[in-house]
Amino acid sequence: MCGIAGSTQDPEGRTVRSMCETLRHRGPDDEGVHTDVAAAVSIGARRLAIMDLPGGHQPLSNEDGTVWVAFNGEIYNHRRLREDLLARGHRFSTDGDTEVLVHLYEEYGEAMVHPLEGMFTFAIWDARARRMLLARDRFGEKPLFLHEHDGELQFASELTALLKVKPHLRELDPHALDAFFVFAYVPGPGSVVRRVRQLPPGDLLTWKRDGGGCSQRSWWAPPERAVRRRESLQSVVAEAKLQFEEAVRTRMIADVPVGVFLSGGVDSTVVAATAAKVTTQPLQTFTVGYDTGAVSETERARAVAERLGSDHHEVTLTQSDVAERAPAMLAGLDQPLADQATLPLHVLSHFARPRVTVALGGEGADELFGGYPRYRYLEAARRIHAALPGFAVRPLSRALRQAGHLSATARASARLAPTPMLERNLDWVTSGRRHRREGLYGPRLAALDGRRVLADLGATAGAQNGGAAARWLMHLDQVHYLPDDVLVKTDRASMLASLELRTVFLHSGLAELAGSVDTSMHLAGAGKAIVHGLLPPGLLSPGRGGGYRKKAFRVPAAEWLRGPLAAVLERQLARGVIFEEGYFQRGVARTLVSEHAAGTHDHSDVLWPLLSLGVWADRFHGLDVD
Amino acid sequence: MGSMSISSRSPDGIPRTGSPRLLILTPDFPPAPGGIQIVAQRLASGIAGFETEVVAPDGPGAESFDAASGVRVRRVRGGGRLRGGRNALLNAAALGYALRFRPDVVLSTHIVASPAARLIGRRLGARTAQYFHAEEIGAKPKLAAFAARHADLSIAVSRYTAGLVAATGATPARLCVIANGTDMPEEWSPEPLERPTVLTVARIEERYKGHDVMVRAMALVLRSVPQAQWIVIGDGSLRPGLEELARSYGIERSVRFLGAISDEQRNSWLRRAQLLAMPSRLPAGGFAGEGFGIVYLEAGAYGKPVVAGNVGGALDAVLDGETGLLVDPTDTLAVAGAIARLLLDPALTARLGAGGHEWARAHAWPVVVKRVEEQLLELVSPEQVGAPPERSVDVPR
Repeated sequence: MCGIAGSTQDPEGRTVRSMCETLRHRGPDDEGVHTDVAAAVSIGARRLAIMDLPGGHQPLSNEDGTVWVAFNGEIYNHRRLREDLLARGHRFSTDGDTEVLVHLYEEYGEAMVHPLEGMFTFAIWDARARRMLLARDRFGEKPLFLHEHDGELQFASELTALLKVKPHLRELDPHALDAFFVFAYVPGPGSVVRRVRQLPPGDLLTWKRDGGGCSQRSWWAPPERAVRRRESLQSVVAEAKLQFEEAVRTRMIADVPVGVFLSGGVDSTVVAATAAKVTTQPLQTFTVGYDTGAVSETERARAVAERLGSDHHEVTLTQSDVAERAPAMLAGLDQPLADQATLPLHVLSHFARPRVTVALGGEGADELFGGYPRYRYLEAARRIHAALPGFAVRPLSRALRQAGHLSATARASARLAPTPMLERNLDWVTSGRRHRREGLYGPRLAALDGRRVLADLGATAGAQNGGAAARWLMHLDQVHYLPDDVLVKTDRASMLASLELRTVFLHSGLAELAGSVDTSMHLAGAGKAIVHGLLPPGLLSPGRGGGYRKKAFRVPAAEWLRGPLAAVLERQLARGVIFEEGYFQRGVARTLVSEHAAGTHDHSDVLWPLLSLGVWADRFHGLDVD
Repeated sequence: MGSMSISSRSPDGIPRTGSPRLLILTPDFPPAPGGIQIVAQRLASGIAGFETEVVAPDGPGAESFDAASGVRVRRVRGGGRLRGGRNALLNAAALGYALRFRPDVVLSTHIVASPAARLIGRRLGARTAQYFHAEEIGAKPKLAAFAARHADLSIAVSRYTAGLVAATGATPARLCVIANGTDMPEEWSPEPLERPTVLTVARIEERYKGHDVMVRAMALVLRSVPQAQWIVIGDGSLRPGLEELARSYGIERSVRFLGAISDEQRNSWLRRAQLLAMPSRLPAGGFAGEGFGIVYLEAGAYGKPVVAGNVGGALDAVLDGETGLLVDPTDTLAVAGAIARLLLDPALTARLGAGGHEWARAHAWPVVVKRVEEQLLELVSPEQVGAPPERSVDVPR
């Protein structure tokens, strides 16, 4: 876990040093800046020491100082890469993974990204070619924000760092705020401010000092074509097992203690079981639970830990913890994020940090292996639509909607409504928040063309190409929700505790395998059939009906908004920037807050994004008037 | 091609010679394409010391193929589109043909024909021989054990396959390893293309063939040999995904997917390419993978070195450093390194290519067929007839 920064207008390294200072919390252990005075280029890095503790100072260079790298992340297969490079005559002066990048660049040029297994962003400065290469990992596990102007380039791991040295860029993008309200995260490749963007996952950017400016291309994308193919689940599971064990094994290599975040669900249980199998050390597992609501998974996790014989640790996120920590954490995020699981993940990271510096997590399994029940339901909806006569659909849907508030009928109604698949999916995952903009949006957002969010989403999704709806939606989640919500949460929540969270399911071979099997295999049974196949028998107690029912990682957000966070909501209504500056209307928001507080309604789907954005915007605004 | 002397005709229309009679039972036979098809056909046409008859399923083009082949083939019609149904019919029909043909030896080329072979052995006193490849042992371990237990002779196509047979738990009466063979081109004149060309020849149906690793490896090879092209021969349901993978690695302009092409076209590519690469890996979970890899020998027949995985049947099909390079087939860097090394080192390519040619000659079908025939003849040699089966394992090399 580190942070990087760079500028092509920084002959003294002052700008980059200043950005690095802002990134200190990402890398408390060390800082370095390299400047090419003649080219006016500087790159820098802040470092959290995970590997090669003494020898990992950055930026570092090749033997003759012509190629420099600043790197954020981990290269899990760096030992194998080093072996290959040594055989090709490269000489190494450190033991860490950073130096591998320099020699890999010398050997393979831009193609160096292909053999990399890991999570990363890096900047390589090639002094001879006077060329900068920026790269981001396949799924966007590590962030990189960019600002281009007049052929010059600035970049940093965090938006905040860029804005510190370019204060005039601190202009919120109303469209990004609209998108944030709809999705509860800021979708890439844009950012929450207008003139800063992100390098998309799996992209390479090249900048040249002597003309040419920036050019950008994709070097990897999740496979999206629907494959129609009959093969046995067993044979795919066998193949997945090879890849999965490799993924776990390489992710457990570190010069510091490694643990597993265990929720008791299928994904983290498979990770923990495999980790226990490949390690010779006693395995440490960690779980977070709550003192309110009925959603704690701690018992399931404890049962798994007992069966695995792991050294298990539990932390309870109490309501007073929430009151104390949530506002500061939500405000401290680089960009606003309203994923309710961010706080528990952060608290878990903080709790685990004294015992382990690295933890493995099960993120990405749902998106890659078809874990969301929505895929199956929406696929079924597509089939029902195809089978029903057109005139029957609308009245039937209406009748079901009027049948009451039961979630089953509401779902059936939604399933039958003649809404395009993309919107139907969007409303499912966002609880239809886009329909609640009216009245809630203040003048600065109400004037926007609300269709743009949907148009942008459609552009990201691409054409359905006649394949299974589920495959299309899985792919959309892999390029939208996964990088911009799940992985932002993973990176920031763990990073704020100086802990490195490594995702096992995003191993490239495993991801490519997942993309190459028939969609029906992913959705077989209760979904995520391949991951279930990886589960050692007897480890998880099957639910009723023999299956392992999908348990969404629910957080008692509704209870928190009534309890420990009620005061924060009130403060927001009283003097929050998002209301003061005319982004949102107090009137409707106040009604929602009081209905929610009275317990007559659950408005947490709207209030949580408002709260997250509100406290974030207050901090952002504070920066503005510094 | 072997010859068959036909001296007389029996009342049921079956010609009789003085030679012992061999009945070959095979679920796969040309003109259908595939490795087992070739093995069955080369044995049927090459074994001269027996009077041979083949029982095989019918299929498109079978009639004209059989008319031109000089091999007596009894085609079994029907069974529907399901393989299980076809195999059941094949076994039933084999019994019927055997009653008329009265074979001395029954050779089953695939374990799915082993029930009929066993029955013919018991009812008619014929000796039985069973071929083992690899994949079928992983897919049907119980049937494989049955086949190995009851055959008088078990033939494994590689030491790896022999290990798979042993792992079924059955103790074969006699187990020998006879490597697969290859056809040698009549005239061998390499015509290498100017553009460095890497060939992969395999159905794109099985993940273990390593097409995915080839995509990742070629992305690196192209860095050191920018002009290189990768020619992918073969078709299958994984092909669309593979094409997409190639696009996602940005190598689509250097790859050509030719699909299933004729033998002549394939041989033409073998003549013109620099090398063949097929890094088959061992699948997990009891799946067997590559039993031998005839295509490695075929490349050698055209004087081409190969890059193969250092596991499974390839260990018998390829001599590391003599006919090709064996590398960890799951290691992209190793595969890429071996390919680039061959593309950049013409002397090495020539030496391994020449070695491959010699190795292929040692595995020319007539040589291999002779080995099989010797084993089959032993089954019917006077001292063997009526004697209790000798339990031994005979592993050459």
